[in-house]
Amino acid sequence: MIGDLLFRTWRGPSRLLPLDALRGENAVGGRMPEITCPAISPALARRLADACPTAAMRCLGGTTTPDLGRPPVGRAVAELRSPATDARWRSGRPQVAANGTDESFFELDYALCVGCGRCAAAAPEAVTPARSLPICGVQRARLTRRWNLATGAECAPPAVPELPRLDRWLGRAVNIRQLDAGSCNGCEAEISALTNPYYDLERLGAHFVASPKHADLLLVTGPVTRNMEEAVRQTYAAVPAPKLVVAVGACGCSGGVFAASPEVTGPLDRIIPVDAYIPGCPPTPAMLVTGLAEILRRRRRAGRGDADS
Amino acid sequence: MRSRDAILAALAPALRQAWLREPEPPRLVSIFGCTGEHGPSVHYLLDRGPAGYEEIVVEAAAELGSLTPLAPAAAWHEREVHDRFGTVFAGHPDPRALIGAGDDASAAGRFEFTPVAGEGITEVAVGPVHAGIIEPGHFRFSTMGDRVVFLELRHFYTHKGTEDLLAGMDAALATPLVESVSGDNCLAHAVAYCEAVEQIAGLEPPPRAQALRLAGLELERLVAHIGDFGALCGDVGFAPMPALAGRIKEDLLRASARFCGTRYWRGIAVPGGVTVDPAAALRQELVRAVAAAEREFASLAELALRTPSVEARFEGAGVLSLRAVRDWAAVGPVARASGAGLDLRSLRPTGAYRGRDVVPPVLAAGDVMARARIRVLEASASAQLILDALADWPDGPVRRDLPAALEGCGRGFVESPRGELLYWLLLRAGHIQRCHIRSPSFQNWPALPSAVIGGVIADFPMINKSFNLSYSGCDR
Repeated sequence: MIGDLLFRTWRGPSRLLPLDALRGENAVGGRMPEITCPAISPALARRLADACPTAAMRCLGGTTTPDLGRPPVGRAVAELRSPATDARWRSGRPQVAANGTDESFFELDYALCVGCGRCAAAAPEAVTPARSLPICGVQRARLTRRWNLATGAECAPPAVPELPRLDRWLGRAVNIRQLDAGSCNGCEAEISALTNPYYDLERLGAHFVASPKHADLLLVTGPVTRNMEEAVRQTYAAVPAPKLVVAVGACGCSGGVFAASPEVTGPLDRIIPVDAYIPGCPPTPAMLVTGLAEILRRRRRAGRGDADS
Repeated sequence: MRSRDAILAALAPALRQAWLREPEPPRLVSIFGCTGEHGPSVHYLLDRGPAGYEEIVVEAAAELGSLTPLAPAAAWHEREVHDRFGTVFAGHPDPRALIGAGDDASAAGRFEFTPVAGEGITEVAVGPVHAGIIEPGHFRFSTMGDRVVFLELRHFYTHKGTEDLLAGMDAALATPLVESVSGDNCLAHAVAYCEAVEQIAGLEPPPRAQALRLAGLELERLVAHIGDFGALCGDVGFAPMPALAGRIKEDLLRASARFCGTRYWRGIAVPGGVTVDPAAALRQELVRAVAAAEREFASLAELALRTPSVEARFEGAGVLSLRAVRDWAAVGPVARASGAGLDLRSLRPTGAYRGRDVVPPVLAAGDVMARARIRVLEASASAQLILDALADWPDGPVRRDLPAALEGCGRGFVESPRGELLYWLLLRAGHIQRCHIRSPSFQNWPALPSAVIGGVIADFPMINKSFNLSYSGCDR
C-alpha cells in the first residue's frame, strides 16, 4: 500500500514553488489592498475611510500625530457599548477629523486590515487586491503607509532601527515555535500550509519545533486573550536567548477585529517584545515565507555586519 | 441525588412540558442569556425533530432549576449563562466557572480540577500551549499505567468576548468579525450570520448568490475533510498521506483564490447576497480543480485506509456510543459516525440546498475509523454538490439591498464542516442588540472524554484529531 502511495508521489509533477515566485506574487488570495492611483485626493481619502470597517484606512487631522505604538480602534469596533474599554483605547487613538477641512493625511495601516475588500469595491479605480505585498516581516511602523493630502503624494516611510543582532553561528537555520495567543485558527491553517509540498519551509532551513525551549523564533498569532496572557509570558520566558518574536496576522499585529474587547489584553507587543510583524487576515503562506525570509535576511546582515541588499 | 420528579418540578413550566411531552426528550440545541427591553431572559432552543425548532423563553431569575441532571448537554450551556449573566442554576452537578480566567490565580473563577485519587493513579497535564501548530486548551488526564481513567477539559483560553463585541455593531458591517470566530469555517459562520439577518429582513438572496454560497460551503467542507484525513493519518505515523492531502488541499485553496480572490472565502458572504460574481471561464476552472481533487483524494484515502498500520490503529479506537451522542447532543460528522443521522442539509435545507436531496452518510461503529470514513464519504458528496451547483448556475444579480434600520429576531442555521452551527440574532435599528453563536465545537467538546476514557493515552492525539474541533469556535 505504502509503495503504491510513494510511487504515485514520485510520478506526479513537483508542486514546489521557486522562492522568486513566492516573493513576487506573495499576496494572491489574501485581498490586502494595493493603491493603484498616483495621487490620493481628499475626496478619495474620505471615501476609502468611510468604506473601511476596521479603520485600516483613515484620514488624520493635520495637528494630530498618531501614536503608532498603540493601535487605533476600528470604527465598527469602537461602537462598543462598554465606555471603559473604549476609553482605554481612546487615549492612544489618532483623532479622526469629522469633516474634510482639517484633514491633511491619509493612512493605510496594514496591521489593521482584514482584507474584507470593501475599499476595492468602493473605489475600484484606486484600489485593487494586492498581488504582491513586500512589507512582511518588518517593524510595526513600516506597516503604516501615509499620504499627504495637500499634494496627494505618498510620504517617505519612517526610518526604523535595525533588528537586534543574533549570534552568527546559527547560520541560516532557525527553529520556529508557533504560539497561538487566542487566534481564530485562520493563521494556524496558513502556517500549517507552510509544510505542504508547495512551500516546504524546511528548504529555507526553518523547522517547526515542539517546545519553546528548542526555539530561536516565536511565531505568535492571535490578539492575546486575558486567559492566554500568562501562558504567552511563560512561553516567551522559556525560549532561550537570543530569541526573535514575530507577530502574525491582523490580530497579532494590532489585536485586529478583537482589539477593543475587554477579554483581550494584547496586542502582543504590549505583553512581550516583538521584533517583526507579518500582516494579513490570515497572511497567505507566501506572505509568511516572505516575512520569515526578510527576518532571517536582516538577522544575517546584522550578524555579519556587512550591508548586502 | 434528587428524584426525576424533583428535578422536573424545579424547571420553568414550558421547559418541564417539553421534557414530558414526548417519549423521546428533545435535542438541546442551545441555552443562552439575553438582555432585551423586556428584561433579562434565558432562552432554551430545542430540536423537536419533525416539529422543528422550539424556543422557550424564561424570565431570568436569580435562580433557575438546572436542566443538566436530565440532559448532560446542558452542562456547559448553563455554566456559560452563569458566568456571563449571573443566573444560578440550582441543582447543577458541576457549577464551576466555565469561561473563568485562565491561570490567573487571583480570579474568582479559579478552576479546580476534579480530584482523582487511588493507588497508581497519575495525573498528566497537557496545555494550554500544545506541541504543534494548534490552538490552546488544557487536557487533564488521570491515568492508571497507559489507561486513561478520567479526562477533564479546561478550555476558553481563546475566549475573546466576541458576542459582546458584536453587540452594538452595524448589522451590515459585522461579517469580518463573524468570519473570525472559527477561521477555517469562516464561510459557514458568515452564511449563518447572513441568513439570520436575511430572516429578519424577510428577504432571500438572489438564486445566483445562493448557488455561490452552496459551492463555497461545500468547498469549505471538502478542504476541511481532506486536511483532517491527512492529519489523522499523520498522527499514526503514516507520513505520505499528510503530504499528499496537504498538496490536494493547497490545490483547492489556490483554485479558490483564482475563483473568488480569497483562499478561505473571507469577505464573500454579506447580508443580502455575495460580493463576487465569477465569470463562466473561472467556474469551468473550478470544476476541473474540484473534479481532479475528488478523484485523487478518494483513491488515496482508500489506499490509506487499507494500509494495515493505519487500519490497526483506527479500528475500535475512541468509540463514542450513540448513547453518548444523545447525552451530549453531539452534532456533525462525529454524531453521524456514531449512528445519529443529523444533517441540516437534508433535514432542514435552506438556500440552494432546497431540492438538492443531500443524503448524509451514517455509520454505526463510532470509532476513529468510522469518523475517518465519514469524512471520505462526505468529501465525495461535497465535490458532487459543487459540480452540480456549477453545472446549474442561475442567472441574475448576486446581491440584494437590505432595508435600513432592521428590527427583530432571526436565526441562521448552517451545516458547517463540523456540524450544526447556529447564529441567534436580535437587531434594533439596524444594529446588533444580541448575537448568540452556538458552534458545533461547543456542543461536541464535552463529548470527547467519553471516547477517550478507557483507551490508552497514546491514542489521544488521534482520537482528538478524529473529532477535530475548533477551540476558538467553542471559546468565542
